[in-house]
Amino acid sequence: MSAARVVMRSMWRKASGKYALIVLGLWVLVSLISLVWTPYALLETDGFHAWASPTAAHPLGTDGVGADVLSWLMAGSRTNLAIASLTVVVAGIFGLALVAAMVSRHTALRSTSVVVVDALISIPTVLIALMLSVPFGASTAVIVAACGFAYGLNLARIVRPAAILAARSQYVESAVWSGASGSRVFVRHIMPNVMPVLLVQLSMSAGTSILAEAGLTYLGVGVGVGVPSWGHSLATSVRFISIYPLTVLWPGLIVTMTVIALHLFGDALRDAIDPLTNPELREAA
Amino acid sequence: MRFVAKRLLLFIAALVGLSILVFLALRVLPGDVAAVMAGTNATAARIAALRTQMGLDRPLPVQYVDWLGGLLHGDLGISAISGRSVVSQVGARAAVTFPLIVLSLAIALLIGLPLGCAAVITRNRRWRGLFHVLAIVGGAIPALWSGLLLILLFSHGSGLLGLFPSQGFPNDGWKDCGRAMASLVLPALATGITAGAGIMRYTRAALGDAAQSQAVSMAMACGMTRRQALLRVGLRLSMPQLVSVIGLTFAQMITGVMVVENLFALPGLGSMLITDVGNRDLIAVQSELFLLAAFFLLLGLAVDMAHHALDPRLNTASDDVQEVL
Amino acid sequence: MNIEIRGLTITIGDKPIVRDVCMDIADGERIGLVGSSGSGKSMIAKALMGLLSDTARVSGSIMAGGRQLIGLDDTAMADLRGRYMGMVFQNPAAALNPVMTVAQQVGLPLYLRYDLSLDERLDRVKAMLDKVGLSQDALLKYPHQLSGGQQQRVGIATALITSPRFIIADEPTTALDSITQRQIVDLLTSLVDDAGASMLFITHDFAVLARATTRCYVLDGGSIAETGTTASLLREPASEPARRLVAAARQLTLSRDGGIGDGDVGSRESMGVESGDRVIMRKDGGDE
Repeated sequence: MSAARVVMRSMWRKASGKYALIVLGLWVLVSLISLVWTPYALLETDGFHAWASPTAAHPLGTDGVGADVLSWLMAGSRTNLAIASLTVVVAGIFGLALVAAMVSRHTALRSTSVVVVDALISIPTVLIALMLSVPFGASTAVIVAACGFAYGLNLARIVRPAAILAARSQYVESAVWSGASGSRVFVRHIMPNVMPVLLVQLSMSAGTSILAEAGLTYLGVGVGVGVPSWGHSLATSVRFISIYPLTVLWPGLIVTMTVIALHLFGDALRDAIDPLTNPELREAA
Repeated sequence: MRFVAKRLLLFIAALVGLSILVFLALRVLPGDVAAVMAGTNATAARIAALRTQMGLDRPLPVQYVDWLGGLLHGDLGISAISGRSVVSQVGARAAVTFPLIVLSLAIALLIGLPLGCAAVITRNRRWRGLFHVLAIVGGAIPALWSGLLLILLFSHGSGLLGLFPSQGFPNDGWKDCGRAMASLVLPALATGITAGAGIMRYTRAALGDAAQSQAVSMAMACGMTRRQALLRVGLRLSMPQLVSVIGLTFAQMITGVMVVENLFALPGLGSMLITDVGNRDLIAVQSELFLLAAFFLLLGLAVDMAHHALDPRLNTASDDVQEVL
Repeated sequence: MNIEIRGLTITIGDKPIVRDVCMDIADGERIGLVGSSGSGKSMIAKALMGLLSDTARVSGSIMAGGRQLIGLDDTAMADLRGRYMGMVFQNPAAALNPVMTVAQQVGLPLYLRYDLSLDERLDRVKAMLDKVGLSQDALLKYPHQLSGGQQQRVGIATALITSPRFIIADEPTTALDSITQRQIVDLLTSLVDDAGASMLFITHDFAVLARATTRCYVLDGGSIAETGTTASLLREPASEPARRLVAAARQLTLSRDGGIGDGDVGSRESMGVESGDRVIMRKDGGDE
């Protein structure tokens, strides 16, 4: 059995892993489905039945213009999936590049990168998003850029101790002495050692990006106008909260459940990947 | 001392870098800055007037130096929309936002630290599981949602238990402390809970690590009970890392603060910034953005200094901070 | 204090780390516990002191001075630890509290469990520093300002300040260089003998064991493989684990010394070694 299958199976075993895998699987599924079908077209509105409570026709009710909440949430799931995935990619690449700089043999590069990360890390994501939104307007790209940048910095700082530990090992020393190039050493020796920490952080970043999107969209610097997203659904239901409190329930619930799933996914993945905590992996490898 | 000097230098360099970044970001606009500010219906004459008024016809470096000079003198520019100086508004707004931030942080610490410690101290598996769930769920709730739920539960008039106002801030500011404070309770709770969950997770992780350390075992060997050893020695030893991490949480809290200011209609710095961005009032945005970001840089500085002070291994002997992780 | 261990089994998760261990330590005896890393030695020490983590399950019986330790609640155990038991740790750099001065650290057991004034405590701390061979200006220093040997002396001082009846030394010399090792072992043994206390000395190094103990237990894979007087065990180790450890000790001892040729390590006769004591003398280069 391949290592990947072993990892999946170990994750499935624990209740938390099961929950995470199911929710995430559903998320991807719904996103894919929404590309071709939603119960109602997004722009289809039924003015006579605005703010309706859940009925057979509209399982999750309707919003202020009579559009179907369920459809908008389904469509929103693919936007959030895109944002989360892209943020992970950007943060991962940026973060790893920074880590490579922070453990490099060139003292100047090393010191500068550490200094830069420490300086920039205290700047909140929302301010970066605001800064970017002025020239570029509110869009998904702005969210991804701001989150990717901020989380990448965070990632670099958290992963650094593990990377340093790996860089100081005998293994790496001997590889360097035998002439291996810096990047080769990094990819083959250091990266595998920081994988567990990295993966947990990346899943948490994915979760945080969803939370960030909700807040940023509400503030007006998130996804563009009319783009479906969970933040959008949450933000639109806010305005009439005192009259129709239930509309707020669904988007908030979905966001929370997904973020929990992402966190649990990260934890379960870390346990499953580490041969120390996962005995089955040792046999498969 | 070498560390302090180095760190201060770093702070100043970062400030300068930040100012350049903010300045440039707002000039990288498709189209003409003055046109954007004047709006779509403006006449050519209006745009030209605006340009001269704002000094936008001068070369970039000159504008930058002018702005910087103004900042140092406490002159943050004139808002193109309201015509008033930015500075006059900032004061009143800050009087709402800063107490809100402090209150949120206090709530976050009051929730996170004790719960995080309890999660490690307890020997009961059920409780440990409960704490774990609490931390995960608490950290997954967007501030927007928790704010809304709090409004539903506690606001005057519409909530289940009408305890706190949910909209606005008293016009006469802090003159009536009770009312002013009451307006901040729900917003602070909304932001504080999410941040608190994060702090709880970090405290639990740090204390959990410390629990395995020889220092805690030795403290127990000297005659402390496990709980005493964890709280007196374990916590103290994890303090430096905790301070750093809490500092980061603080910075992330700003999103929640801005959301909450909007949600609860509080006239704070966050909502001012958002409105100005929406209005494309670039001059005002420039200074406000810089100020807010600079505040957080200052915070980062304070946190680093605290970290350094708390770790005795870094205080005496060498200042080679990079090595001592 | 005499210690009686019967059927001690410690399980972590589903793996038994220590299986059915029985040991006897009479009052005033210095007993060794030796085994390779991972054999479970530290677990036994932790069980004795009540320092095991929650994930460990313990069964069996540990009688200390007639009192059953297993199942004892933490408060009572803490009292025992502070007053009647002492422990010296392997890595003093990690064990000593980095934010406490030497004076505060050594005085800690007194502060926790006894009602003394600051001056009384200080007097005893000063007297203790004398006994462990530290000068008085160490009082205000922090652990990271001391050498490894000095740190361990602080560790010993802390363990012995309350005149405990039973002391556990968990690999106290492993983190030190060979010269300091000898000094620390001698210091420990003389202090323990002076106080008339009993000691459990844990190590993986048979050479150190010979110097510190009269009787010892060999632990292998969680169970006792062999027991007897240290001298006879060194001379004629009967069990396989014991043989391995003795051979390892001798190899290390000799190659460190450098004086004796690297030829026939296996044969004791060719070394002219007749008893455990001689092994140590050779290591010293004959200055004993």
